[in-house]
This record gives sequence, structure tokens and C-alpha cells, in this order.
Amino acid sequence: MSFGLFFALTGAALAAATSGLGSARGVGIAGQAAAGSCTDNPDLFSKVLILQLLPGTQGIYGLLIAFICLSQIGLLGGGADPNMSLTTGLMYLAACLPVIIVEPISAINQGRTSVASIAMVTKKQETFGKSMIFPAMVETYAILALLISILAIFGVSGM
Amino acid sequence: MSVVPMKRITVAAMKRDRKAVLEYLQVLGAVQISIRKKEDDVFTKTDMSKSQQLFLRNRDKAEDALAVLKRFAPEKKGILSSLEGRRELSVEEAREKIGTCSDTIHRCEEILRTEKEYADLVSGIPKMEDQKKALEPWMKFDLPMDLGETRACTVFTGTLQGEYTLETLYTQVKTLSNVETLEGEIISSDATQTCIFLVCEKKDQAAVKEALRRMNFASPPVANTNPAERMRELDEEIAAASGQSEEKLEKIRSYAGDREDIRFASDYYTMRAEKYGALSQLLQSRRVFFLEGFIPEACAQDVAQGLQNRFECAVEVRNPGKKEKPPVLLKNNGFSAPLEGVTESYSLPGKKEIDPTFLSSLFYYILFGIMLSDAGYGILLFLGTGILLLRFRNRMEPGMKKTMRMFFFCGIATTFWGFMFGSFFGDAVAVIGKTFLGKGEDFGLKPLWFAPLDEPMRMLTFCFIIALIHMFVGLGAKAYMQIRDKKYLDMVYDVLLWYVLLISCIVFLLTVPTMAEMLSVNPLSTSLKTPMMVLMIISAVGIILTGGRESKNWVKRILKGLYALYGISGWLSDVLSYSRLLALGLATGVIAQVFNSMGSMGGKSIPGVLMFIAVFLVGNVLNLAINALGAYVHTNRLTYVEFFGKFYDGGGKKFCPFAANTKYYKFKEEM
Repeated sequence: MSFGLFFALTGAALAAATSGLGSARGVGIAGQAAAGSCTDNPDLFSKVLILQLLPGTQGIYGLLIAFICLSQIGLLGGGADPNMSLTTGLMYLAACLPVIIVEPISAINQGRTSVASIAMVTKKQETFGKSMIFPAMVETYAILALLISILAIFGVSGM
Repeated sequence: MSVVPMKRITVAAMKRDRKAVLEYLQVLGAVQISIRKKEDDVFTKTDMSKSQQLFLRNRDKAEDALAVLKRFAPEKKGILSSLEGRRELSVEEAREKIGTCSDTIHRCEEILRTEKEYADLVSGIPKMEDQKKALEPWMKFDLPMDLGETRACTVFTGTLQGEYTLETLYTQVKTLSNVETLEGEIISSDATQTCIFLVCEKKDQAAVKEALRRMNFASPPVANTNPAERMRELDEEIAAASGQSEEKLEKIRSYAGDREDIRFASDYYTMRAEKYGALSQLLQSRRVFFLEGFIPEACAQDVAQGLQNRFECAVEVRNPGKKEKPPVLLKNNGFSAPLEGVTESYSLPGKKEIDPTFLSSLFYYILFGIMLSDAGYGILLFLGTGILLLRFRNRMEPGMKKTMRMFFFCGIATTFWGFMFGSFFGDAVAVIGKTFLGKGEDFGLKPLWFAPLDEPMRMLTFCFIIALIHMFVGLGAKAYMQIRDKKYLDMVYDVLLWYVLLISCIVFLLTVPTMAEMLSVNPLSTSLKTPMMVLMIISAVGIILTGGRESKNWVKRILKGLYALYGISGWLSDVLSYSRLLALGLATGVIAQVFNSMGSMGGKSIPGVLMFIAVFLVGNVLNLAINALGAYVHTNRLTYVEFFGKFYDGGGKKFCPFAANTKYYKFKEEM
């Protein structure tokens, strides 16, 4: 048995883990601001809830990559090759790297932007549409990283 | 489809009619008062803010009373009742009710007073409970607790920290004070405190007091009666307080039937406050008042006629002046109108801009559909919102109706793309077939077009095509505005050159085999290479020469033009930004798959089926909620940043007519 499968699995696991950590932190800090905003103005609940949830998507992207990676190496539904070569395994790990690195940072920063947007909505309710866009900007880079990881994983599995 | 054209309306009428005129306009809700004329010797403004404040206070009282009633006598309402809009009331019905309003406010004051009394009573009880607790160690003591002295002796009643027996107490006091004659009793003692009763001769009073002070002696909790008596008193007081608070509650609850009246009063005083706000703006002479404002063209004549029929007045309707900035009201067909809120969230169209709502609606639902892309979720969305729209079709407020209709259309688009990409609650069909019905590997819902998870590059190419169409339409809208304003040269420089540059770049790239292969399309013939190259150079040079044409200085102009050409990198990143369609679409499908495969782990058995149902329900509801939110946010982002960025600045002010901005009722009046 070679270490290939181990490294591929490491890639999938890290993708889910770091993205989840980042999103947990992002949603957490935004949630604190949202709760504070709601104490004074309970009507804002639905609006600030949306803003709080924005940094949650990175966790989902991580999960997505983990899932695609697991299914491509055959750990879901069987058919995994225990003798996957070390090179292939490392290539799967490398394919996961954009997500592993970018998602947590993007989620935390998006959480911070959400905090600012929540403050914006609290002061002026009608700015909700604009306030949603600032955190969504941060997410662009999470999506680009996700894109490259997806393409890379399919690329590796197609070799 | 557009911004509603506005007229300016001027009304001059008799001062004695001013309230009636304002009431009429308020119920119509069609005029935004904006008076540009300045005060002069004849016409002055009257400050009505005092009366306005009074009405606002009454409204607050009514609202506070409603909040109290909500707390102590909540109404039984369905969860969907928030979708029911305001009740409609004819002017006659309203008139009858107006007479009772000041009486209603008295009742509100009564409710608020009772609530305060109730709160005081309730907050007093824990205090008394504390006193009872403090008394408990003293229950064996049968003298008044403030028994300070007798003829020859001084008495100390109080507590010491820690545990003492009579001996340790004597010893310690005697060592600290050198007093020999002491008499005392330990009333109760535990590890934290000891209650003592200590008697000494009067002459030793000071010494004993000092000794006790050093032992941290503290006075007893209550005075002047003996503890058992006091305990009984406290019990009676607590019983009385809770009895009384119960009575107060009953009294508050007895007002529950007045709720509708209070709501009406709240609305009534809101309207009056608004009316007085408008009154303060009017220019008034001794007999005449003067009012100016904006009114939508469509109803201008009717309103003018209505005013003239009812009152002695002069009404003039004219076009707004060149320098005036009329407020913006949007009017769209049923398909686009739900997105007016999206446009408004960004910014309403500024002067001379088109209303982008219709154009954005052509793409909005499609983009949302591609991001959510699951037929199951789409059906849930459009059935859910459709049923609500039907059920509350007469009573739903316009704003809520628009939101519902937006998700209705989004749901239809989601269903469409879901079937195109073969996703129905993820791979639910395949999983159920395989696990419970014993179907083969290839059983499942086949995509009508292709499955993005199997061919991600094809999906990405499709996203880029959508991106180009979306942004080219945006650029086209800019061209339309420039042609409308007869700025033909600007149109050539800002739009046409870019179209040529971008299209020639794309065609050029598609002639490169590796590029075409990556995007999974057939490469174009290489003979196109040279002409495209020429077109690219011509248009690029054109942009460099004209991009900074507002500068007279040629060096500056060329530098600015180079910067304008650099904008092509912006186009690149804008196109890449549409890859979120792929990412979010895959996310929906894959997460649903995760839940489905988790659910099917129980296998083909009764508990397995139950487990599948539970996981399926929870998982898919969660997935729908998160991904619908994501699709909504990112559709907005693509609309605001990538689409509006090409042609739309906004900056218009919203049309806010003088109207009855009520919470519970709405009033109807025919023109």
C-alpha cells in the first residue's frame, strides 16, 4: 500500500476542515454584531440574519470540494484504489490547496465586512441592498479558489 | 417599463379649507409636497410642530398600550397572518370612529398606568422574599429586634460572621474588651453566620461595642417588632401584592377588546401628525394658502379636477423646470415589477437615466435559477409563494406581494434549470431507486441538457457565455441612452469600440486550439486570426485616443486613454465573476447529494426508510434555505456590480407622496 490515498484524503479533509473553521469564525463575529443590533431593533432580525449568514458559504465550498475529492478517489460508494500512486495523491492534495488556503481567510474577512454592513443597516435600514454587496465582494475570491480546485480535481482524475 | 413622468402641481385655495384639502390629498396619496417659493411679506409659514408633537405622543401612547396588551393578552393569530395587509376602511366608517379616539387614548393611558402599577407590585415581591429569608435565622428570638437598652443594661442584637458557641463568644468578647459581666444567647448558628443576643452593663457599652465591631458585628435585618410577627406581616404583604397584581392583570386583559380601537387611534394620530407636518410647510396669507408639489402625470388631471370640484381653488399643472429634479416612481409590467425593490436597493434612476428594472428582470430570474438549479427546490419555491399569493391576493401589502412574486418567478426559473441539469432534490430519484426500489446503477433523473457535475468545463463555458450576453446588454443600454441624447460620437467611442475590441478578442482566442479545447468548443478557422488582430489593434488605438477625450492636453489624454484600455482587465474579472453560477449551482446539488446518501445509509428496511425521510426533510430544508439565500445575494451582486456597472449610476430620489402612512388600516376615497 502506498501513501497516495492518504494524501488525497488529507486534501479532502483539510478542505472541509479549514473552510469550516473560517466560516465558523466569520459567522460567529457577524453573529455577535447581529445580536447586538437586534436588541435595540428586533424588526431588523431578518435583515441582519442574512448578513450574518453570508460568511457561511465558504464552509459549504469546502464541503463541496471535500465531497468531490472523496467521490473522485472513490472513498464514497466504494472503489477506492489502495495503491494510488504517491504522485496522484499529492496532486489531489495540491488541487485542494486553493480552497484550503483561501476559504478560511475569505470567510473571516467576509465576517468582518458583514459586521460593518450590520452597523450600516442598523443605522439606516434602507441601505440593506448596498450593505449586502460589500461582503459579497469578499466572496468572489472564495469562489475563484473553489473554481480552480474543482477544475484541478477533475483534471487530476481525468489523467 | 420606465420611470413615471412627473408633473408639478400648484394649488392656491382658501385658508379655511386648508385642512380639508390636505385630508383629501392625504387619502389620495398622489402628491409629494415640495414648496420652492420662499416666504415673503404676504405668505408665511405657520409652525405647527407643537400640535404635531402632541399627536405623535398620543400615537406613542397607543403603540405602548398595544405592546402591553400584546404581552399580557396576546392575540391568537396564524403564522401567516403577517402576510395579511392593512384592513380597508371606507371614509364613512373612519369618520364614525374618529369621534372616539380621544376616549381611546384615555383608555390607553389607563392601560399604561395599570401596567406600571402591576410592574411595581411584582418587583416588590422579591424584595420581601429576601427579607423573609434574612429573618429565618431569627425565628427563635421573641423580643423586638431593636431593643437597644434597658435601665441598667445595653442590648446588642445582630449577626457575626462564622460559627460561634456561647463560650467562644464570651471568650472572644472578653479578651477584646476586658469586660467581665456578659449575658447572652446564641439564637442560631451555622458555618457562615451566628445570630447573637448579648447584654452588658451600661458602663461597659463602649468597650463591648468596640470589641463586637472588631468581630464584624452587623445589625439585624429588621427592627421594631419581633421576628415571628414580622414574618407574618411579610407573608400577608406578599399575598396582598400578588393578589393585587393579579387584579391589575385582569384589568389590563379586560381592555383586550379595545385593541382594534387603539389600533385605529394609533393610525388616526399618525395621520394627523403627518397632516400637521404638511401644514407647517404651507405658505399662508390671511385668507389664502399655497401648496406646490410633484404628481405623477397619469393622475395629475384627475386630482386637479377633484380639487376644483370640491373646493374653491386654483390648480395649475405644468412640466417640471429644467433645473428641478423630480422624484422617481417606477412603473413596470407584472414580470419586472417585483424587481423594482432590487433596483431601489441599489439606487433609483437619476435624471435622464432609464429604469433598468425591465432589463435586469430579463436576466435576474435566469441567474437565480442557474445558481439554485434544483427542480425540487424550484417547485417548492413557486408552489409555496404561488399558494400564498393566491390565498392573500386581496389583502397582501404591495411590498410583500412584490417579494412573493419575485420568488415565484425565481422558483419557475429554478425548476427549469433543475430539469435541464437533472437535479431533483439532488440525486433523490437515483438514491431512492437504488436503495429502496432495487433499481440499477443508471436509474435516475436524466438531465435534459447535461449534468454540470460531470462536465464542469462545459458548464463554465456556458457561464461565460451568459456573462458576455448579460454585460453586452448592459453596454447596449448605455448606447441606447447615448443615442437617445443624440451623443452619437460618445456612443461610438464608449460602446462601439468596446464591442469591436471585445468581440475580436474573443474570436481571436477561439482560433487558438488549446483555448478552444479548454472551453470544450471547436476551434475557429485560423484564417480569422489576421482580420481579428487588425480589428483589435484598430479598436484599441481608438480607445487610447478617445478614452480621455475630456482632457485638452494630449499627453494627459493619451495617458487617460491607456488607462481606459486597461479597463479590459475589468472585463476579464467581470466574466470570471460569473463562475459563481457554476460554483453555487454545484454547491446546491452536491450538498443535497450528501444528505441523500447520509439518509440512505440505513438501507432497505423500515427504520432505514424512516431515517431517510428524517434526514431528507431536515437536510433539504436546510440546503434550500442556505442556497436560496446565496442565490439571492449573488444574483443581486451580478446585477449591481457586473450589469449596472456597465451603464447605470442611479442617484434619483424616491417619490414619497403625502399620504396616510398607517400601520393597521387603509382608507379609500374615490377621486
